[in-house]
Amino acid sequence: MRNMNDIWTGNLKVSGCLVAAIAAALAAAVVAGGLPPSTIARGALSEVEGQATGQAPAPPPASQAPQQPPEVSLVISGDPGTPPRYAVPDFVALSPDAAEMARTIAQVLWDDLAFERDFYMIPRDTYATVPAAQSAAQIPFDRWRELGADAVVFGTVRRTGDEVRVEVRLFAVRTRQQVFGKEYTGTAANPRLYAHTASDEIHLQQRNLRGVARTKLTFSSDRNRERVAGPIDNREVKEIYISDYDGANQRRITTSRQLNINPSWSPDARALAYTTFGPIPDIFISYLYRGVRENPTRGRGTNYLPVFSPDGTRIAFMSGRDGNPEIYVVNVDGSNLRRITNHPAGDTTPTWSPTGTQIAFVSDRAGAPQIYIVGADGLNLRRLTSESHADRPTWSPAPFNEIAFTARTGPGYDIKVYDLATGMTRRITFGEGSNESPAYAPNGKHLAFMSTRAGRYQVFTIGRDGRGVRQVTREGGNFTPAWSN
Amino acid sequence: MPKVLASAPNAGGRHQRGRRVSPTLSEINVVPMVDVMLVLLVIFMVAAPMLQRGVEVNLPVATRSQEISTEQVFVDLPISYRQNRRVFIDKEPIRIDVLPERVRQIMLTRTTKIVYLRGDAQVNLQELYEVFDRLREAGVVNVGIISAAPGEQ
Repeated sequence: MRNMNDIWTGNLKVSGCLVAAIAAALAAAVVAGGLPPSTIARGALSEVEGQATGQAPAPPPASQAPQQPPEVSLVISGDPGTPPRYAVPDFVALSPDAAEMARTIAQVLWDDLAFERDFYMIPRDTYATVPAAQSAAQIPFDRWRELGADAVVFGTVRRTGDEVRVEVRLFAVRTRQQVFGKEYTGTAANPRLYAHTASDEIHLQQRNLRGVARTKLTFSSDRNRERVAGPIDNREVKEIYISDYDGANQRRITTSRQLNINPSWSPDARALAYTTFGPIPDIFISYLYRGVRENPTRGRGTNYLPVFSPDGTRIAFMSGRDGNPEIYVVNVDGSNLRRITNHPAGDTTPTWSPTGTQIAFVSDRAGAPQIYIVGADGLNLRRLTSESHADRPTWSPAPFNEIAFTARTGPGYDIKVYDLATGMTRRITFGEGSNESPAYAPNGKHLAFMSTRAGRYQVFTIGRDGRGVRQVTREGGNFTPAWSN
Repeated sequence: MPKVLASAPNAGGRHQRGRRVSPTLSEINVVPMVDVMLVLLVIFMVAAPMLQRGVEVNLPVATRSQEISTEQVFVDLPISYRQNRRVFIDKEPIRIDVLPERVRQIMLTRTTKIVYLRGDAQVNLQELYEVFDRLREAGVVNVGIISAAPGEQ
């Protein structure tokens, strides 16, 4: 989450203000807990890092990956040809009421580090053979070495009332040297965020990788089983939800009792654009931290499938305002509406290239729906795919240059990826249920998608190599995920 | 089998880590087991034919044969296991309760999930089964028992 920058600048926000602002939410209500606890400050442990102490380096902008690590630091390597092996034992609770939090943070940190698959994570149930250390000086490196660990995390949690102080250190087992050390302070509202933050920082420092532990998913869900309030037809509503990337902290955003579908994140992850089927289908933007809902299309025509441009200033969407579905671009404030496509066939589901200069979309102008790309100025249109049915393209972030989409592969659909450099298409899923609507994680290494493999449609995440499927949602039916920066 | 036999003269030093294996060992009998739980049965079924030793293959000399033979995972089970509950992988002593995780890590990079056990002849069945159980925990389904050929001592 971008507003986690507060960690770095040391700004202390009071989450209560946030609550008040959001309580006034119009159609878009965000529960305070859905936001990251914003009172985490960060300080370098002075005895910890041999390098920069004091002023924390500002995190590099998330949009450019991979990034340079902010400081020179020791990198733990594994045996030749194998990823380094990490152990994350329970953190030490320095106050009695922090015990549960200490366990949670360690477990979540383990999960976060495992998610990127850049480390071999030694299963936590094997740590019973290693005596627990109460201080960093007591870490039994010989025993961790015996368990095969290259790196071991030592952490402490101290809780004073509602204030929490979490210390995370990473040691190289061979040299017994500390290679990472951070201290975080904040509230007890969301202990998982301490782990997410530490995970992202460890990935950045050790692997020069932008982790996604602090990113969020959004999707639409019919879980609350309400009926549509308006006169459209008697069907269940769908509302927009957000959750952490791992499915924790699921929060409802819209409360309009309408069909709210196809959400997408603004690049700063502070707003969602989505389609609402009110009297007519139209596009809305909910600003999560301001509790404001806006309608950039100003109620003109039928409008669907909004996606923010990478710089956050424009929205591409599909509209039937001129008689048949075409792709349009409009500024977020509703100005400068431009039509991008012009064809008697239907053009739909736009997605931006990472540079914002091109738009990929679906058209049935050649019969079956296929993926096309066109310049954001409407020029240089060309067809990419030759599937029996291709739908829902999502352009990957750099450094990958590919478009994931849904392709019919029999009775159901599967996720495929079109590589723009080679023109080759590869498959990510293989007929386990119907798999649709892919969305890239901001580092391009993962995709969220919806699948019927576990019954009703649910949101899953998967590696871009097709490995490591994780189920994110379980309640009701959940559809069309999007992944925040 | 040929892989192990390929250990030729230059591999002699490699095999010294087995307590029971002589340093000049040139041939090893390997009894692959399909299922560790069937190991007892299979030992007695296979041991008799194996006493005559497998077909001896005169392998061509190749510099890479050393590498192939080191891909095998050997777990040494010396008699000292009875006192300290430690086995050895690559001469590194490893407590038996840590063994599953260590073997799991090693198996990640191996295509064949087989472990060769170099056990001391004095190791009893109970001890053998302790090791089998731990190897099975690590996802190993094939365990080979290594023995020296008669007259090789």
